[in-house]
Amino acid sequence: MQHMASLTRLHEVAEPTAIEVARLSHVYAGPEGGVPALEDISMKVAAGRFVVIVGPSGCGKTSLLMMLAGLRHQTEGTILCNERPINRPDPARVGVVFQEASLFPWLSAVDNIEFPLALRGMPKEERRRHAEAMLRLVGLEGFGGRYPHELSGGMKQRVSIARGLVQDPPVLLMDEPFAALDEQTRMTMGHELLRIWSTTRKTVVFITHSLTEAVYLADEVLVMSARPGRIIDRIPVTLPRPRTYEMMATDTFGRLRDRIWQQIRKTTQPGLA
Amino acid sequence: MTRTQIILTRLVLLGLVVATWELLPRLGFVNPRLLPPLSDVLTMLGQLLGRAQVQEAIWVTAAEVIVAFMIAVPLGAAIGVLIAENDYVGDIFRPMLFYVFSIPKSIFLPMFILIFGIGFGQKVAYAAFSTTFVVIMSAAAAVESVKADHILVARSYGATRGQILTRVYVPSMLPVLLETLRISMIFNFTGVMIAEMYASRTGIGHLIANWGENFQMRQLFAGVILLAVVAILFNEAVRYLESRCSTWRA
Ligand SMILES: Nc1ncnc2c1ncn2[C@@H]1O[C@H](COP(=O)(O)OP(=O)(O)OP(=O)(O)O)[C@@H](O)[C@H]1O
Ligand SMILES: [Mg+2]
Repeated sequence: MQHMASLTRLHEVAEPTAIEVARLSHVYAGPEGGVPALEDISMKVAAGRFVVIVGPSGCGKTSLLMMLAGLRHQTEGTILCNERPINRPDPARVGVVFQEASLFPWLSAVDNIEFPLALRGMPKEERRRHAEAMLRLVGLEGFGGRYPHELSGGMKQRVSIARGLVQDPPVLLMDEPFAALDEQTRMTMGHELLRIWSTTRKTVVFITHSLTEAVYLADEVLVMSARPGRIIDRIPVTLPRPRTYEMMATDTFGRLRDRIWQQIRKTTQPGLA
Repeated sequence: MTRTQIILTRLVLLGLVVATWELLPRLGFVNPRLLPPLSDVLTMLGQLLGRAQVQEAIWVTAAEVIVAFMIAVPLGAAIGVLIAENDYVGDIFRPMLFYVFSIPKSIFLPMFILIFGIGFGQKVAYAAFSTTFVVIMSAAAAVESVKADHILVARSYGATRGQILTRVYVPSMLPVLLETLRISMIFNFTGVMIAEMYASRTGIGHLIANWGENFQMRQLFAGVILLAVVAILFNEAVRYLESRCSTWRA
């Protein structure tokens, strides 16, 4: 344990890179030479950072996330995670949270959270201990026995986040996790996510269509162009942490939000630029 | 209506049917030779169950039903999964299977007799044949009911192909598969009965056909009651399992 802690401190000094994407392009096979989905994407995410990706619909955000998760293979380019390439799903390094919670309806909340551990053959008791800790972390203590259809949308996403974190991967990928929630629940969940993030210090890559959510959550916002997706702007969010709802009313917040919007407008309606 | 009221009403209706069946022939409103009173039928059922010939027929029928079921379900399930999972196989065979599915299977019975004679094998072959198609259709539907999202989640947590099969496919498909089991048993049972009634030397279906031809109405009704009870019991047992899975059907 001692050894681990000192290692972490050593890395902090060196500002280690959690994710490094270099010259990544992707073309989906199809008629007439296929559909170019991503073009020359390069990005570096330092460990412990919260990066948000925004971009017009169909620009390749989900595709990129799938490649970061090792679920799909890019046509060109490399992805390094903790300095090692990602070619296939590696739950020890990367956890994924999908849009529609995607909980298994035949498993209770706690069994859903244990699912990744069960795949590894971890003994029942140990699994349960980890899962209970995760339930506490996401604020669902006492709800472990419920089945997904007995949970609200927000609670389902909490379970889904717990499932993504249960193996303690250094990186968490989230594809529009709150898109299906109503606005109020969504605000609360964003805040909750920041709380969870600040206690676990994961590297997060988060996709959203909501500009407010992007600014509220991010250390840095990456804006992608319309298809084929390229990164057209990198916007550092200078707002202090911890973030508060009041910050949304500040000038800085408004200016950041506006800058993202202008970029997206430019790429979707080039004539108006 | 509350649950109890519904159950009470059902019991009253059942009682009425039983009473009518008993009283109409007894009071002379219906010819007892056509419709024997229920009590006579039940007494006959008890006597029949004690007869060696009937016992043998029950065993033969049961064996035919079970063997045909054990051929039709795995065979149909395998073909159904193949059609749903393999686009190539699916594209080729799906239309053909739909065409054959729509034909009444009983018109093939004479061919089965030509090929298999009128013994055990013919009953099993015909019943399995008439059942396989329903199993294929439902199994394909079951596979298609598996959500792509769930497979993706499992893959992202490093599930192997085997784990995806046992931990995603099987539980996703279980409710549909149980329903398939139930419906295919109905087809299977019907298949065996039709084959036995059409041409046979033994089996419950054969006895029932004979009793009908000889106007032995008490025996005929006793046989009908016996079959009905067995079929309903199987159906309800599977339905009970289905309802236990339905909590997570969502
Ligand atoms: N499996 C696939 N085969 C072929 N084309 C695909 C496939 N998946 C996605 N695409 C195409 O690639 C492009 C990018 O898709 P992707 O889902 O990554 O976009 P997205 O940015 O996540 O969109 P949204 O904001 O709507 O979620 C789209 O034009 C889509 O039609
Ligand atoms: Mg998407």
